[in-house]
Amino acid sequence: MTKRFAGHVAVHDLSLAVPSGVIYGLLGPNGAGKTTTIRMILDILLPDEGTVQLFGGPGTAREHAARIGYLPEERGLYRKMRVLDVLVFLGEMRGLERTAARRNALEWLDRLGLGAWRLRRIDELSKGMQQKVQFISTVLHRPALVVLDEPFGGLDPVNAQALKDAVLELRQAGTTILFSTHIMEQAERLCDRLCIIARGRKLVDGSLADIKRTSTSQHVIIGFQGEAGGASALFADRRLVKKLDDYGQYAELELAAGSDAQDLLRQLVASGARLSRFELVEPSLHKVFIDLVGPDAARADALDEVARA
Amino acid sequence: MRKVWAVVRREFSERVRSRWFWISTAMVPVFFAAVVLLPTLLTESESAKRIVVVDGSPPFGSRVAEALDAGRIFEATALPDRSGVIDSLIAEIAAKRLDGILVVPPEFLTSGAAEYRAPNVSSLRDVEELERVLEQLGTGVRLERAGIDPALLARTRLPVNLTTRKISRSRTTGESSRQSFSLAYFMGITLYTVILMYGVNVKSSVLEEKTTRIVEVLVSSVRPFPLLLGKVIGVGAVSLVQLVLWGTVGRFLVQQRAAIAARMTGLDQANDIFQVPSVSLETAVVFIAYFLGGFFLYAAMFAAVGAMSSSEQEAQQAQQPIVLVLVLSFVSMFALLGDPNSGLSVALSLIPFTSPIAMPVRWAAGDLPPTDLTLSLVLLAVGIAAVTWVAARIYRVGILMTGKRPGLKELARWVRVG
Repeated sequence: MTKRFAGHVAVHDLSLAVPSGVIYGLLGPNGAGKTTTIRMILDILLPDEGTVQLFGGPGTAREHAARIGYLPEERGLYRKMRVLDVLVFLGEMRGLERTAARRNALEWLDRLGLGAWRLRRIDELSKGMQQKVQFISTVLHRPALVVLDEPFGGLDPVNAQALKDAVLELRQAGTTILFSTHIMEQAERLCDRLCIIARGRKLVDGSLADIKRTSTSQHVIIGFQGEAGGASALFADRRLVKKLDDYGQYAELELAAGSDAQDLLRQLVASGARLSRFELVEPSLHKVFIDLVGPDAARADALDEVARA
Repeated sequence: MRKVWAVVRREFSERVRSRWFWISTAMVPVFFAAVVLLPTLLTESESAKRIVVVDGSPPFGSRVAEALDAGRIFEATALPDRSGVIDSLIAEIAAKRLDGILVVPPEFLTSGAAEYRAPNVSSLRDVEELERVLEQLGTGVRLERAGIDPALLARTRLPVNLTTRKISRSRTTGESSRQSFSLAYFMGITLYTVILMYGVNVKSSVLEEKTTRIVEVLVSSVRPFPLLLGKVIGVGAVSLVQLVLWGTVGRFLVQQRAAIAARMTGLDQANDIFQVPSVSLETAVVFIAYFLGGFFLYAAMFAAVGAMSSSEQEAQQAQQPIVLVLVLSFVSMFALLGDPNSGLSVALSLIPFTSPIAMPVRWAAGDLPPTDLTLSLVLLAVGIAAVTWVAARIYRVGILMTGKRPGLKELARWVRVG
């Protein structure tokens, strides 16, 4: 799909395939085109080029509305409405019968401990409760595909954990989940498959393991016990170390092409450094992401403003 | 469409449930009742005036005092006219123990001349009451002297009840120009208030869904235009319910008005600043038709304003031109009332943006060519179609946009691209 806005291309020739029953992460820095992509998938925006196919057959997202749940970014609810009324209304908008919407809403409210709040107005609820109500409104109609745009943005750790549990539970029940995020740690823990995009283009997609394999670099974490010896001199040697993140008590570094971790270890010990840790690690998704996106990320932030105007 | 119906129901039930709705429903009749009754109440709130009838031709003066005392305006006693009485009574008035004196001289029954002295003689009502009593009693005495039995006269008297109706072409409007004015005025002010109030409601509703992003969830399930339509119909239904409630309460108040006024003032007749007109079925139909037309026209524009703004403050600014047009058509009402058939009046009642207020006012003022009414309705329908088409396009693009409010050029592009 391609989507152009006045003056720039928000999504450029992007192709995604989300297998059913998985948690699929759409990763990218701010302004990469994640929200635009999601809006095109949901038929809120029409792509300028390309098509969207859902559930392996014909029909737009609007025609499949009953099978899709959507939680937009920076969301809110009708502030003056009662909790139960909001849920029933949004359930009806997804094609549920009024009575069924009511029944499902009450079930979910009880399950998340909000049963006693069903007749309160939304603005009487705490932020965490409102977020729970929003989540209920997304899954109330038992959708087969749930689309979450930046679901973890603005959540405190307790609510983020609760949401993560709920997402995993949905997957267990066979629901496909597509979510966008720029928080790599969340994606790494949750996603079965993911796609990294930047500036509207796909950089890589596949399973988590596949994506990590695209990075051929070797990473080592080294911890010091007091004496660092000649470590800093060794780290500065470009033949050994390509990149270094020095945190004082420990350092994460990427070996230069052709250098050997064992060689580095020998030289460190010889230089008089006392090590508490020397560990070969596979690169974190965060690291892969930064390597792929590179300095683009910073520039994309500025473009973000244009995309929204 | 069940989903559109759900939108209509949400807009309707959330508004009808709100405290705001019932407060405005109650306040408006109270306000209008105050406008109608207050002038009467203010005049009547004073207690009865204590006066003395100085009787120059007994026992006629005593009978005048009795008759005045029987009414509610005065508390009257009679004193024979002796020298010094008037001076001592004036001293009483100065001491505020007395409100006035009515001097009936000996030759009253031949000349009809009498004198009322009081610190305040500007009350038309007081003077009318005095004149009425004096004339009635004086005439009675003179008839008796001429040998005519007053009872016979009372029997043969024929009270005439002449009603006046203004004819304008083939139908009658308000029965007097004063009533036509009141009708036009009330219709104009109601149309202006309700269209503005509920137009702003539509705007807030659009804006709330936009700022909370609920609109994205809705639009991924139902197309933007049916969504907008459901919203406008829901809010419109609330306004109709409110109008009907006002109409019912108003009708009741008007019917019971004589009784209410009498109970409050003790007079049979309240003197009205605003004459209460009778509202014919035709008038009601014209009113409702233009109200609905005006509401749809302005609601579409207010919806576009809500869609293009991202905060209440921005929307306040963006709605200024629309509110201005409404205010202009309201203000032009006074020109319309002055001359309903001038070129300006005709133009205002034909242009779709002003006709929802101007045309009903012209109708109420009377003398309206039927071709004008038809033409105005056709133009209004065309106007609604055009404005809704543009507004729906702005809505569709606007609800997904955040950031700076678009300029006119940007808006034109939204409409072109849709």
